[in-house]
Amino acid sequence: MMDGAAGSSFLGWVMDVFETARQGVVLWFLSEDGTRCRLTQPFPVTFYAAADPARLQALQHELAQQPIKLCTYETQRRDLFINAEIPVLAIEVEQTIQQPLLFQRLSQAFPDITFYDADIQLSLRYQARTGVFPLAYCRINADANHVVQSIQPLDTPWELDPPPPPLRILSLEPDVNPVHSEPTELLIRYEKHTGRIPLQPERPFIINIASILQTYDPDILLTNWGDTWLIDHLLKLSKKWKIPLPLNREPGRGVARRGEKVYFSYGQVIHRGQQVHLFGRLHIDRCNAMLWGDYGLDGVFELGRVTGLPLQMSARVSPGSGISAMQMTTALHMGVLVPWHKQQAEDPRSALSLFYGDQGGLVYQPTIGLHSHVGEIDFISMYPSVVVHFNISSETVGSRSPQAELIPELGMTIDRTTPGLVPLTLQPLLRKRIAFKEQILTLPEWDPLKKRYKMCASAHKWLLVTCFGYLGYKNARFGRIEAHQAVTAYGREMLLAAKDVAEDLGFEVLHMYVDGLWVRKPGLKTVHDFQPILYEVSAKTGLPISLDGIFRWVAFLPSRRDECIPVPNRYFGVFQDGTIKIRGIEARRCDTPACISGMQMEVLKLMTKAASAEELPGLLPQIRALLLKRLSLIQQRVLPLEEYLVTLKLSRTLEEYKAPNTPTAAALAQLQAIGKSLRPGQRVRFLFTLGNPGVHAWDLPGMFDPQRLDVQRYKILFLRAAFTLLQPMGFSETGLEDWLFGRERPSELPIDTFRRVGQHLLPAFGLQESV
Amino acid sequence: MGRTLPSIAQVFLGEQEAFSRFRRALRRSDQLVVDDLFASAQKHLAATAYAAHALPFETFLLAMLLEEHKETMRLRQLIEEMLSPTASPSTQEQT
Repeated sequence: MMDGAAGSSFLGWVMDVFETARQGVVLWFLSEDGTRCRLTQPFPVTFYAAADPARLQALQHELAQQPIKLCTYETQRRDLFINAEIPVLAIEVEQTIQQPLLFQRLSQAFPDITFYDADIQLSLRYQARTGVFPLAYCRINADANHVVQSIQPLDTPWELDPPPPPLRILSLEPDVNPVHSEPTELLIRYEKHTGRIPLQPERPFIINIASILQTYDPDILLTNWGDTWLIDHLLKLSKKWKIPLPLNREPGRGVARRGEKVYFSYGQVIHRGQQVHLFGRLHIDRCNAMLWGDYGLDGVFELGRVTGLPLQMSARVSPGSGISAMQMTTALHMGVLVPWHKQQAEDPRSALSLFYGDQGGLVYQPTIGLHSHVGEIDFISMYPSVVVHFNISSETVGSRSPQAELIPELGMTIDRTTPGLVPLTLQPLLRKRIAFKEQILTLPEWDPLKKRYKMCASAHKWLLVTCFGYLGYKNARFGRIEAHQAVTAYGREMLLAAKDVAEDLGFEVLHMYVDGLWVRKPGLKTVHDFQPILYEVSAKTGLPISLDGIFRWVAFLPSRRDECIPVPNRYFGVFQDGTIKIRGIEARRCDTPACISGMQMEVLKLMTKAASAEELPGLLPQIRALLLKRLSLIQQRVLPLEEYLVTLKLSRTLEEYKAPNTPTAAALAQLQAIGKSLRPGQRVRFLFTLGNPGVHAWDLPGMFDPQRLDVQRYKILFLRAAFTLLQPMGFSETGLEDWLFGRERPSELPIDTFRRVGQHLLPAFGLQESV
Repeated sequence: MGRTLPSIAQVFLGEQEAFSRFRRALRRSDQLVVDDLFASAQKHLAATAYAAHALPFETFLLAMLLEEHKETMRLRQLIEEMLSPTASPSTQEQT
C-alpha cells in the first residue's frame, strides 16, 4: 500500500470515479500489486450560460449570493447548431458535488437563460479532461494523503486487447426468480468456490454473507435480481438482525437507487427494474443489464471503456444513452457546447420533399420459393459507415460552405470536408468493430479470445445500431432530423447502386433488405466467385461490403394469409458450411413452445444434408419419420412440461386487455388472483390446457398434471410449423396432413410449385392449366 | 414508432380499402381477379415507396400493368414455342 510513501507512483486500473462531499472526486483504484485504494482529487467543474448582457448580469448577481466557492468569467465557445463561436459566461464550481444543485437552482430562477455543459455525467467530464475512462490502465502519482497529483492514461478505449484488470468477482444467485416464487437458497460463486446458502434461518445466512464480503472483498458483485430483490433483501436482514453488511467500500455511503421504468423501443415494450448502485464496489445485475445475454461481462466492460459511462451505469443503460455519452465526450474534446435542452426545430420544406425524405431503408419483397446458388452480401454496419463516409452530422447537413455537395433525393447540401461531431465519434468505434470482426473470422474456434471478441463486437453492434436512430430522436442533444434523413437517403442510394452492379455482372437479385442483397447466378460456388461483385460494389459505393455466405439452398416464404404475396423477412436456408439461417419462422419467435421450435430446428438440421434445392425432396421420408416421432412424443405428454411452455411478453396491463379470454389475459388473471402482478414488458408463461379457461399460468403454486395438457392445440401449432418448412417443397396445408398421416402418398413432388398469380382463376373461367 | 407519413404497406392497404365498395359489387369471379391485381401490385411495394409519388395509386396501377405484361410475355413465349417446330431444327435452318 502507499501509506507514508509521499509522491509514490502506481500502475493500475481505475474502477470508478464519483463525487465526494469535500474532496472533489474519489477514485477507486486497483493497483497492479493487487491493492485496492481510495484516492481523491480536486475536480472543479465548469458550465456555461448564454443570454443578453442584462440577464447575464442578473445571473452574476445571483451567483455572488451563493454560499459556495465558485468563480465566473466571460469567454467564447462554439455552438454546434449555429456553427459559430458565441459569447458565454463560464461558471466554475470548486466542489464537484455542488454543481448539479447549483445548476438546478439557476435553471429554475432563470428559465430564459440557455445553459450548456450543465448536466454532464462526471465520468465523461473526467475522461474529457484526463483521458481516463472506466477500467483505463494508468499511472498515478499521489501524495501521502492519497490525493492524486497527476494521472496519466497508458491505454485508450480503442485497444483490442487492453491489459485485463485482476478483478475479484462474487456471484450471488437466488435459486428461483423472486417475481415468480419465493427463493429458498442463494448460489454463491467466487474464484474456485461454489456453495449454496439457505436463506433460512435468516441470522446465520446474513452473517455468512457479511463474512464472505469481508474476507473475499470482491470488486464486483454479480447478481441475479440484485436490483429488484436481492440487495434490498440483504439490507432488510442486516437491519433486522443488526449485522453490519459491508456492501460498499466507500465509508459513510449507503446504496443508491434509481426507479424502475417501462418504455417503448423498437416496437417492443421494455420493462427495466429498479437499479441499486454501490460505492467503491460495483454491482451488476445480470437480469437487469440491458442485453446481458448478448454480451455478458466482457461486453459490459467494453461498453464502459468505449462510452466512458461508469460500469454500473453502462451495464444497465440503453445503447442510446451510450452513444449520447460518446457524443458528449467528443463535444467536450472539440470545445463544443453541450446544450442542456436542444432548441432546434426542423427547417420548413415542401410536402414533396417530405415524401422523398421521410423514408426508411429499402425493403423488397423477395422472389418466393426455393433457390440454389444464392449468395448473401451485406454492407458492413451500413448506417454508421454511411455516417462516417459521407460525414453526416447535425452541423454538416444543410451547410452553406462553397465545397458543399448535394445529397441525392433530398435536395439538401452536405459539407464533406470538415469532419462532423457524429462521424468523429463513430469512426474509432466502427474501426474497432471491423477489427473485431476480422479477428473473429480468422481466429480458430478454441481460442478464448474469439469468445471475448464476439461479446465485444455484439456490444458495439447495439451502439452502432442506435447511433443512427439517435440522429433523428427529438431529445438527442446532437440529433437533427435532416441528418437522419440524409443517412437513409444515402443508404437507399448505395443499395440501388449495389443492385445495378449485381445486375451488370449477370446476377439475379432475389431479395434486398436495407443493407443486404441476396443474389443468384448459377454456377457460382466459392467465396472466390463472389470477389468481383464485392470489389465492384465497394468501389462504386465507397462502403465496406462482405459476403455473409453462400447458401446450399434458401427458401423465401410467402405471407401466411396469401401464398401469392411475398413478405420481406420470413425465410430459412443453409449456408455451405452447414450453418442454418432462419428469419421470421416459428423457431425464431420467443413465444413458440420449445417442443415446436425444437422440432423445426431438428428438421432443419436434417435438411442441411441436401447440398442443393434439388436434393431436398430425397430427404422427405426421413423428415416424415422425424415429424411423426416428435408429434407422438408431444401427444403422449411425455416431454418435460417446460417444453410445452408458451412465453409471451406483456404489452399492456390486465385491465387493458379488451378480450379477457385471450390466453395471455387468462394467465395474467390467474397470477393476479394469487397476488402476483406483472407489468408491461415482463413475460408471462403458461401451458395450454383442456377446458376453461384453456391455460395454466406456469408460476401458479402446486403440481400440474400433464393429462390436462391440450395436446390438440399443440398439434395445430406443430403442423403449422411443419408446413412452414415443407411449403417450399410444394406442399399445401392439407396435402401435408394427408402425406404425414399416410392418407395419400405423393408420387413425385415438384419443387417450387407456388401458385402463380391468376392460376387459381383458371377453373372459374372453365380452363385448366396444362403446363 | 412515430411516423410523419404512413408506411407504404399502410398506404397500400388504404388504397385497397378505398376500392372495397367497387369490389363488393363485382361478381365473385371478378372479385378474385381484383384481388390478384392488388397482389401483383404488392410485389413492388419497395419500388413504390422509393418512387414517393404524390398519388401512389398511379404507381400501383403501373405495377399491376407490369405484372400483366410479364405474364403476356411469358404466355407469348409459350405459344411461340408450341407453334414453332422444335427450336433446334429452326436454328439449324437459319445457320
